[in-house]
Amino acid sequence: MSPRAVAALLALPLLVPPAPAPAAAAKRPKPAVAAPAAAPAFSAASLKVQRHVLDNGMVVLLAEDHSVPTVTLWQWFKVGSRNERPGITGISHYFEHMMFNGSRNVPPKEYDRILESAGGYSNAFTDRDMTAYYEDIAADRLDVPLFLDSDRMASLSLAPASLASEIEVVKEERRMATDNDVYGLLDEHLWATAFLASPYRWPVVGWMGDLERITREDCVAYFRTYYAPNNCILVLAGDFRPDSALARIRAAFGAIPRQDPPAEPPDSEPEPLGERRVEVHFAAESPAFMVGYRSPAAREADFAALEVLDRVLAGGESSRLHQALVYERGLALEVTTAFQPMLGPGLIQFWVPLRPGAAADEALAAFDAELERLAGAGPTDAELEKARNLIEADFVKSLKTNNGLGQALGFHEHVYGDWRAMFDRVARARAVTAEDCRRVARAVFDARRRTVATLVPAPAASAEAVR
Amino acid sequence: MRARDAGRPRAAATLAGLALGVVLAAGAAPRAAAAPVALPPATRATLKNGLTVVILPSSRLPLVDFRLVAGAGSVHDPAGKEGLAALTASLLTQGAGGRDARAIADTIAFVGGTLEAEASAEQLVVTAEVLRKDFALGLELLRDVVARPAFPAAEVERRRDEAVGAIAAERDDLWDLADRSLLPFLYGASPLGHPALGWEASVAALTREDVVAFHDRRVRPDNAVLVVVGDVEPKAALEAVGRAFADWKRGRGPAPAPYPPARREGARAVRVVSRPEITQSQIRLACPAVPRGHPDEFPIRVANAILGGGFTSRLVNTIRVERGLTYRIRSAFTMHRGAGAFTISTFTRNATLRACVDGILEVVGTLVRDGPTEAELDKARRFLTGQFPLGLQAPDALAEQLADAEFYGLGPGWIAGFDAGVNAVTLDDVRRALKSYVCVDDLRLLVVAPPDSARAALAGLGPLEVVEAP
Repeated sequence: MSPRAVAALLALPLLVPPAPAPAAAAKRPKPAVAAPAAAPAFSAASLKVQRHVLDNGMVVLLAEDHSVPTVTLWQWFKVGSRNERPGITGISHYFEHMMFNGSRNVPPKEYDRILESAGGYSNAFTDRDMTAYYEDIAADRLDVPLFLDSDRMASLSLAPASLASEIEVVKEERRMATDNDVYGLLDEHLWATAFLASPYRWPVVGWMGDLERITREDCVAYFRTYYAPNNCILVLAGDFRPDSALARIRAAFGAIPRQDPPAEPPDSEPEPLGERRVEVHFAAESPAFMVGYRSPAAREADFAALEVLDRVLAGGESSRLHQALVYERGLALEVTTAFQPMLGPGLIQFWVPLRPGAAADEALAAFDAELERLAGAGPTDAELEKARNLIEADFVKSLKTNNGLGQALGFHEHVYGDWRAMFDRVARARAVTAEDCRRVARAVFDARRRTVATLVPAPAASAEAVR
Repeated sequence: MRARDAGRPRAAATLAGLALGVVLAAGAAPRAAAAPVALPPATRATLKNGLTVVILPSSRLPLVDFRLVAGAGSVHDPAGKEGLAALTASLLTQGAGGRDARAIADTIAFVGGTLEAEASAEQLVVTAEVLRKDFALGLELLRDVVARPAFPAAEVERRRDEAVGAIAAERDDLWDLADRSLLPFLYGASPLGHPALGWEASVAALTREDVVAFHDRRVRPDNAVLVVVGDVEPKAALEAVGRAFADWKRGRGPAPAPYPPARREGARAVRVVSRPEITQSQIRLACPAVPRGHPDEFPIRVANAILGGGFTSRLVNTIRVERGLTYRIRSAFTMHRGAGAFTISTFTRNATLRACVDGILEVVGTLVRDGPTEAELDKARRFLTGQFPLGLQAPDALAEQLADAEFYGLGPGWIAGFDAGVNAVTLDDVRRALKSYVCVDDLRLLVVAPPDSARAALAGLGPLEVVEAP
């Protein structure tokens, strides 16, 4: 199970409309490249981004790029599973589904029909800190998603029949990605064990029992609070004229009233006092384990060094953990991490699926030895430079498409409060020293601040009786 | 967001629509009544050794993507050596051109690049992506792993053991297990009848000699195409490619005989892959269909979009939206050089297995019998033509499209002609495609499910057998 990035990608000045030549593309300054190795491959000056705030509080980011005659419209709502409470866990993700199921002028099923009939495509995702929606569409059809999305922000239907049907779809999603999936099961157990009080402890998809419990009243209240324009960042990336686009965005969204800003969710998480372990017995052929260490929030000073450590430990085949556990010891099939900037303290999470017959305790001991070695001696100069280069290259690659550019802008505007932070992240990684790495590794990779979730393969025959 | 828990896409399946360029699920194509796709001119050349080279410049980002495709996929695995192409591909980066596995991994990672090799049914694909300043290094590494692999004995052993482990892991993922189990059920003894990873017993018996011989015979310039897309000057890039691959020798011996097309069986059959412990059943309905480049390719794409592509297709509308029976359902035509398949893929909780299968049969039967409406045809054309350019934005995605156009002999105008091809499809064309290539009475139904309940639920649908996970 390799890491699967949710989005990212695209855009080259390749798709040229045959009639009018793309004059704007030709005028774009060449990104600095053949310059000295130390110069950034791509900088904020390479992008044309405007930031506006409508009277109702909605933030609008416009990223103009005429390379291809398409646009991506993103909306980032500052609500995720951290804003939920026990009893209605999963409601944020349920909403992600319901946003496609009808509004005042767009009856159920019409959202996708109208969009696809215009050649567009939409998708969305929910995470602990956010819920984000996008449409990809030809540049001359921007008015279609503006109409659809402003209508649902102004007047989502939440019709009982749609609510009843859609919750079944969500339950199937949960059965697929969690209840019958080893990664999903370990992930859910890891977070629920690592945190005692933080709203990060419950799964984004929600507990199955809570999915049965969510009422229409819960949904109505949730919508009013969290889907207000002042809780939304709208990002438009691609081929448009900023003045005209802003006017059309204002015409579509400007009249939707702002609401009282939502309260910050409480986080009463205590300091951990010791390692936590959890076992998951499940029918599988191969053992596996997942380890989560408490990680700093995105805006904390140590985050940059941890991004570098993440690459040193698990950034591809030459990384320390791959070399030790996969290549030299032959214990694991792969070692990958899940680690991203979050609003609050979260986890840096290691996923280690083992070969059939490998001993989980032996593999965990080998894992521990690598983390101790790194915390003791720090990375080599070459490892440090490699990690920085990977971070920078990954960033450039994330901007390949209008969709990827819009995602990067919206994500950083939300999590860091400023889209420019995406460049700062690269710069901060460049400034990380070996001593920073040692210090942060010692602080973060502390066994008393970690949780280990272990998959214990159960033979299929006995599993039937258990479940 | 770097990992799979970062979010929960509403339909991850449709995002994978272009995965191999041969799977025609949703999300494959541009826009009706608007500007068709026009790419800047590509530079195309054939080197003396037979290597076809295609270069397309683009300078929005300082990136260069290389994609080399050789006709060396799992269909070329000798009988009893299933998994050989995949093992060979995975070993290319484990020692080549004087660098050992560690040195190769370190070198490419140091410049923030990627270098990957893998085999699918018909293709052995090696890709490299580097920043523009590292063009020469990327080309050197790509050349070394393709043309100068060392296949160290210790690495062969290690990778072979890893492959056996990967097969077990594939069985632990229910979606993968269903896809893996479908191939022998659908294709029987055809070279397409096994997964690229192979079977445990066949992989365990592979030797270094097998790998060396496979590479020697099949990974050859006259059996390959190299595409370069990115921030390059075409003339200089072509010269550099020519120099890099000058010593790569043309293959000896005749081209292998093509494999025969798979035939539809004429009667329905049901196979249950036993997984007693799971709470959700995987479902596949399939039959052999057509190869890539078939004269009806565009009518088939449109028909598939109407049946099971995007969020408004008949299957999604009925099975997911109206009945809440699944989270993901899609139909797809997989098209290889010599054969292809039509497949509907979904899952549902065990208790609704029969309701889900019946619902699918009803949707498919109705559409094949009555055909689509004009409005559906129009929507499908706009959807396909609207999506196509989106899949050409990223340099690596574009390289894949260009390489496939060469590999499948679709002709240089294939990408530019996509809109016209889709827009020319009529209602009669779609009706014909549905009746000819979508199976109803003779489909193969495969489920991964607890055997006892599945046996009861599927009674009456056709001869049923229960098997262990392959």
